[in-house]
Amino acid sequence: MKNQATGIFYDGNSSVPQEVVFLFDSNTATLVFEASNGTIYQWKCSEIVFEKTGSKLSFRHKVEVSQNGYTTDSKFIDEVLTFTKKKGQYGWYQSLLDLGTTIHLGLAVVILAIIGLCYLYAIPWVAEKSVVLIPEEYDTKLGDTFFEQNVIFSSIDSSKTKALNEFAKELKLNNTKKLKFSVVDSEIVNAFALPDGNIVVYTGILDSMQNYDELVGLLGHEAAHVNHRHSMKMLCRNLSGYLFVSAILGDVNGIMATIGNNINSLQSLSFSREFEHQADVEGFNVLVINKVNPVGMTNLFKRLENKNYISVPQFLSSHPMTEDRITFMEKMIKTKTFQIVDNQTLKNLFQKMKK
Amino acid sequence: MEEILQTEKKYKLDFQGKGNDFFGIIIVNWLLTICTLGIYYPWAKAKKLQFLYGQTSLNGDAFAFHGTGKEMFKGFLKAILLFFILGGIFGLFIYLKMPMVGLLLFYFGIFAILPLAIHGSYRYRMSRTSWRGIRFGYRGDKQELAINFVKWIFLTIITFGIYGPWMSINLRKYLVGNVRFGDAEFDYSGDGSDYFILNLKGYFLSIFTLGIYFFWWQKDLFEYYIDNLTVNKENKEIRLNSTVTGGGFFKLAIVNLAIIVFTLGLGYAWAVTRTLNYIFNNIQLDGNIDLDALNQTEENYKDATGEDLSDFLDLDFVM
Repeated sequence: MKNQATGIFYDGNSSVPQEVVFLFDSNTATLVFEASNGTIYQWKCSEIVFEKTGSKLSFRHKVEVSQNGYTTDSKFIDEVLTFTKKKGQYGWYQSLLDLGTTIHLGLAVVILAIIGLCYLYAIPWVAEKSVVLIPEEYDTKLGDTFFEQNVIFSSIDSSKTKALNEFAKELKLNNTKKLKFSVVDSEIVNAFALPDGNIVVYTGILDSMQNYDELVGLLGHEAAHVNHRHSMKMLCRNLSGYLFVSAILGDVNGIMATIGNNINSLQSLSFSREFEHQADVEGFNVLVINKVNPVGMTNLFKRLENKNYISVPQFLSSHPMTEDRITFMEKMIKTKTFQIVDNQTLKNLFQKMKK
Repeated sequence: MEEILQTEKKYKLDFQGKGNDFFGIIIVNWLLTICTLGIYYPWAKAKKLQFLYGQTSLNGDAFAFHGTGKEMFKGFLKAILLFFILGGIFGLFIYLKMPMVGLLLFYFGIFAILPLAIHGSYRYRMSRTSWRGIRFGYRGDKQELAINFVKWIFLTIITFGIYGPWMSINLRKYLVGNVRFGDAEFDYSGDGSDYFILNLKGYFLSIFTLGIYFFWWQKDLFEYYIDNLTVNKENKEIRLNSTVTGGGFFKLAIVNLAIIVFTLGLGYAWAVTRTLNYIFNNIQLDGNIDLDALNQTEENYKDATGEDLSDFLDLDFVM
């Protein structure tokens, strides 16, 4: 079958529009036309890039890219497009584009959902597993740097530090790494663990404690942070989360990247809640193994709660809400069986630290 | 004089791209890029540029981008290799416990690559752009640009950045001045001191008006770019004229921001098509060059390294 239509041809030598008659022969799959200088062009269908924009069908030679033309004859356009589709010359990319805005929107939502799931589950999991690849030396280095920068400005109480180390020696802390304990003179009701095994306890929290079981709970909790390399895991999660977010959104624009980074920091707060929970469970186990009353853990939380003057919603708080932790611990105490043996050595050492 | 008036031609620059169509391209590209772990990126970029060029028309005929994913993929690999080499050198000096030397060399390397990247991306982009089959071209000299670039950077550093506007204009003059459109040539006639004053005024007024003047500053900058552009052929010329307004830019930015924020970024495609539509509909062309009589002068050219390097270094050029 032969079809013909008038259209415009540009020969690639000048921008003069040449009015020509395009002849499309579907038997030989060729487009034939005569330029104004008398040259006869015979383009094989497979050598042409067809493109339809609006009511116009443009064709361009694949090799001689400068030679191109177009027609607006709708009957001719239909014939040519049906032919190329039948011949499988219609690109798969074009077919994907032809799916329409609704399906594209659906696809976008699916991609976003997959990205979201990756971000929430896959990325933290991979990051955490990859912590194994980071040598423990690095944890030590990181902890040392932090310790030097932060503890150097505060005064270490050497006699209480000595007592605390002896106190810890009496306990089975399930530690995989050598732990070092320091007591720092400060009103702050807190304690923290560094990745190198340095555990810092403030006199503020020691003074607020009533019984040595609370201190055992605290040490068990902090030791769990060290054992599970929580600091390094947090670092890896935050870093990979950040990289992931900027890799996905970085291409879009600055606004999205900023939103994305803020999502990442909000998300990282709940990561630390998860780690706190793990440390709570292990702290409880430490109490049980050492035959110390697990009520110490609940009491410890109560001390922390009293110091929380402003209650913040859980979403924004970096530590799990103390109340939730107390409820959880009370449930543990009710359901687990344990044995309590009074430990005089621990009691004496505890008293030494209390003033 | 009368003859010039008689031969005054009419030109119309236009962008007809629809947000829906561009959205489809972005989503399909995104899907393919994710599925191929990023390898599809150069092909995606080619599709994107082909669409944007194809929707931009001059006197009813669309521009065309002939670049292919394969070409850009090769450039992409070269760019990655270059960065690995630079990173390797940096790493070596860290290992030798001379981090400062390493850092210095790294920055030196970046500055050395920058003019080559600009040159390469201009050459590639222009050679792959055509209108009615007439190819654009960039005829700048790599060495000349590199020498000038180092000179301008040096002047900018020793004047604590004051030379910056002069550097921008000099660079623009060199790049635009070497762009050809068949047998017509582009020319840029801006001046560093005007540009400096423009920026100084924009900066301070933006501060005094708590940022509101920023859009008028952008308008001035755009105007300064467009209004100083001309296309010349023999003794004929086309002058470009911007009709954008500060209010227009303000409205454009606010609506785009709303679109992007309320669609969680999915409306990006519409923001882009709106912006291009606004910009192209606000560039007027006047002059007497007959666009039906341009002749092909540029050869085919193959090398896409520059294109990807500038992508890597995030160089954003209007051209």
